Amino acid sequence: MNRPRATTNRRRFLQGSTLAGAAGLTGLSGCSYWSGSNSRVSRAAGKKVIIIGIDGMDPRLCSQMMSEGLLPNMAKLRATGGFSELGTSVPPQSPVAWANFINGNGPGTHGIFDFIHRHPHEQCAPFYSAAETVPGEGAWEVGDYQLQLDFWPFNHKPSETVLRRQGVPFWDYLDASGIPTTFYDLPSNYPPSPSQYGHHRCICGMGTPDMAGSYGTYQYFAENGPPQPIDEGGGRRTRIKFDEETGQGELIGPENGLLKVAKPMTIPFKVHRDLQSNAVAIDLPTQRLVLKPGQWSPWIRLNFEMTTPAFLPDKEVSGICRILVQEVAPIFRMYVSPINVDPRAAVVQLSEPESFIGDVANHLGPFYTTGFKEDHKARTNGVFNDDEFVRQATNVMEERLALFDYAVQDYEDGLLFFYFSSSDLQSHMFWWNSDKPHPIRSTTEAQKWHGYIRRLYQRLDQVVGDIYDRYGSQATIIVMSDHGFSEFGRQFNLNSWLRWYGYLGPPECTSLFKDVDWSQTAAYGLGINGLYINLKGRERDGIIEPGEQKEALIQELIFGLTQLQDEDGRQVVRNVYRSDQVYSGDATELAPDLIVGYARGYRASWATCLGDLTDDVLLDNDQAWSADHCADALEVPGILFSNRKITDAQPSLVDLAPSILKEFGLKTPATMSGKVVLG
Amino acid sequence: MPELARIISALNQFANFFGRALANAVAPLPGWLSATVIGVLTGVVMLVGYKYTSNQRAIKRVRDQMKANMLSLKLFKDNMRSVFGSQLGLVGGAGKLLLHSLLPMVVMFIPITLAMTQLSLWYQMRPLQVGETAVVSLQLRDDTPTPLPAVKLDGGDFAEIVTGPVRIDSTKEVTWEIVARTTGLHELQFDVNGELVTKSLSIGDRYLRVSLLRPTLKSWVDVVLNPAEQPFAVDSAVQSIAITYPERDSWTSGTDNWVIYWLVVSMAAAFALKSVFNVNL
Ligand SMILES: [Zn+2]
Repeated sequence: MNRPRATTNRRRFLQGSTLAGAAGLTGLSGCSYWSGSNSRVSRAAGKKVIIIGIDGMDPRLCSQMMSEGLLPNMAKLRATGGFSELGTSVPPQSPVAWANFINGNGPGTHGIFDFIHRHPHEQCAPFYSAAETVPGEGAWEVGDYQLQLDFWPFNHKPSETVLRRQGVPFWDYLDASGIPTTFYDLPSNYPPSPSQYGHHRCICGMGTPDMAGSYGTYQYFAENGPPQPIDEGGGRRTRIKFDEETGQGELIGPENGLLKVAKPMTIPFKVHRDLQSNAVAIDLPTQRLVLKPGQWSPWIRLNFEMTTPAFLPDKEVSGICRILVQEVAPIFRMYVSPINVDPRAAVVQLSEPESFIGDVANHLGPFYTTGFKEDHKARTNGVFNDDEFVRQATNVMEERLALFDYAVQDYEDGLLFFYFSSSDLQSHMFWWNSDKPHPIRSTTEAQKWHGYIRRLYQRLDQVVGDIYDRYGSQATIIVMSDHGFSEFGRQFNLNSWLRWYGYLGPPECTSLFKDVDWSQTAAYGLGINGLYINLKGRERDGIIEPGEQKEALIQELIFGLTQLQDEDGRQVVRNVYRSDQVYSGDATELAPDLIVGYARGYRASWATCLGDLTDDVLLDNDQAWSADHCADALEVPGILFSNRKITDAQPSLVDLAPSILKEFGLKTPATMSGKVVLG
Repeated sequence: MPELARIISALNQFANFFGRALANAVAPLPGWLSATVIGVLTGVVMLVGYKYTSNQRAIKRVRDQMKANMLSLKLFKDNMRSVFGSQLGLVGGAGKLLLHSLLPMVVMFIPITLAMTQLSLWYQMRPLQVGETAVVSLQLRDDTPTPLPAVKLDGGDFAEIVTGPVRIDSTKEVTWEIVARTTGLHELQFDVNGELVTKSLSIGDRYLRVSLLRPTLKSWVDVVLNPAEQPFAVDSAVQSIAITYPERDSWTSGTDNWVIYWLVVSMAAAFALKSVFNVNL
């Protein structure tokens, strides 16, 4: 229904977001897969494997809290089976790490190396690594519209969103053996990979777009908003004016992709406020909400009218959102969540099989479907304060717990995987396990919020306890995370560093996408950990000869980066990995040449991830996003708990798939590099 | 047209009597069953009503003629003139049937409408469940001076105000969000400058009559569509009170779908039972 935003320029695309990004590329056109035979007769013979995936749960904090007696259920698991650090991916970014888990093998097999990749033949044109929307071909133009008709005699090719993760996911082997698998919110799997034999079910997780085709675009209406609406990476800020205590505005929906010049569909609304009772009534075309400051609306359905050429009936496209009125007066402020795809009537395929998510939503009601559910952008951009962010994240957590309950009740045997994002996105904001001064908080505040993360760990420990109580010895229980956490106090602008040493020019260059001179550029950084050689024959404007010249440059860069010291003498980069040494497989084409592994406390700067250069090479991080894990993989291992013995001293993410297959009596396939680590 | 509204309101009171009795009788049944039973009953009532309001003898005559035309169509299919004549005869017969059904349709229009609006109380929306919220909107007269007067809402121990009142000067409305606390068919009380008015509130898991709007006599359409409660007088300070209820999710007895199911079942029942009641349709 929607087309890719072919017009999205590179600049806007990059401003759109740092880590997330998205499917600005993602059209809303659903692509359905052949789902194969539907006979769901389990051949698991009662065998149960339950995996709780807790994004970003850190082994050091777990150990510390277990020794304080604060995580009794995890401690129990440790005592029954085992607990270990879990080696993460290089680089330790969630999409990469989860893809390692999925393939039981490294990035060389799945082809995801960073949140952001680049097209070398278009000289550093960036795109999001997990999914890509392939533009359609051909269209029938009628007035203001262009229709893509995929049948004879037109045979146009509609645009299509494709999963870029390559290789064989481990559940394919279980599917082929008749063993049922169910995944709730699996990252790096949007659009969902198909189940050939009908034994696999999955709801897409991280990477799933909202209705705007982004990783989440909130709308913020405030009396003190800018005169003209502005897009602020992850959100849109608009001024709302009141006339006799009534204000009006419009909610921006998805673009009408049938139009030649794509234009978003909108829904008008009015806000009436009562100063005396400090509350508002919000009138939408089909619904009235009555809200006071701090009160969240329930999920509301928004039906967008999609105009079509006169000879076709108009269509309706619906999404869901929640509204928070933050202040009634003197300055009215209102947050509207990203408009999520409605799981009860999904306009794009959000699950495999396609009907799965609808079945769940019919039981539970609507819930967040975007990959990034906790609205960290709203916090980063100052739309939320800490408490509001926590409240929103708690809303997510409550939904997840209800879904978890459903998942457990619906589960008979085979594999059950359930994912929690809370620990990751909230740790990014609140984790601070260090004596160093916090970027934006006083020490007491930083401690207070770190305490909040500890309580979150305790809540998740209860989830583990719940599963243990229900299944104890009847199931293999695995509690794991994709990576741990680290403070992020100082940021390093890799591109500025390259410029300083003359690897990137001209000396006054400010951006890879504006004023870089590729003929003066030997290497550039893009994404969070990637460093690329501007290689002749590979990059469109490459200048470095493959072979000796490239080799020498790589040696120089590794030496320079690992020698780098901050003003106080701290080492900034712990390791630099050569992709030709750490990656192997058929999918290495887009891999960076070097992967920069930052020391604890450091990360790539906000600007450099997006190709921007700053005057200083090392700067303080001044964002609410004050903890991260995109460091050296050795700094931020994940966790592994199990009620089975952990037989290896250094288990890693890629080892889980072979271990799970073995639980079901399957041998480790040749597509995997991991080993069995559970006894 | 307050006069028309008053007449409708009187009819509604009559219909409410039956509506409530029927409601009590079928309340324990599951939705699909009660919808089916009511559909069949409606079909029978329509059949009997049709029998006594239509000219059964004339209809039989037309039917017989039409049968003869059909027969001649088959017998003389090679004779163009005869075929054409029979076809004309059939069309004419259909027209006559339609004419003969006009009177019964006019006569039955009112009871059918009353039945339908009674059933809508039942199936269109479901009662609030305990803990669920609803928006209550009270419409004041157009000439109410602003700022609007203080309107007090008393939910007793069965409903609690979550937010509001929000007074909307531009539309002369006062609105609240309430949360349901105890089950039952309750009366919310409103105090508008000393004038006390009420609005029913349905809370519970089982089937209850759900009145979305207490209308005003100024709008006969609203009075037709919202039969359960006594309409507000033309000069009342309060013109209407609306409550939002959740939709009912069912193919047979849920929001909007119930009308289709009811019509289909009643028609099917009427056709199936026409020979039992010896009715010519
Ligand atoms: Zn993260």
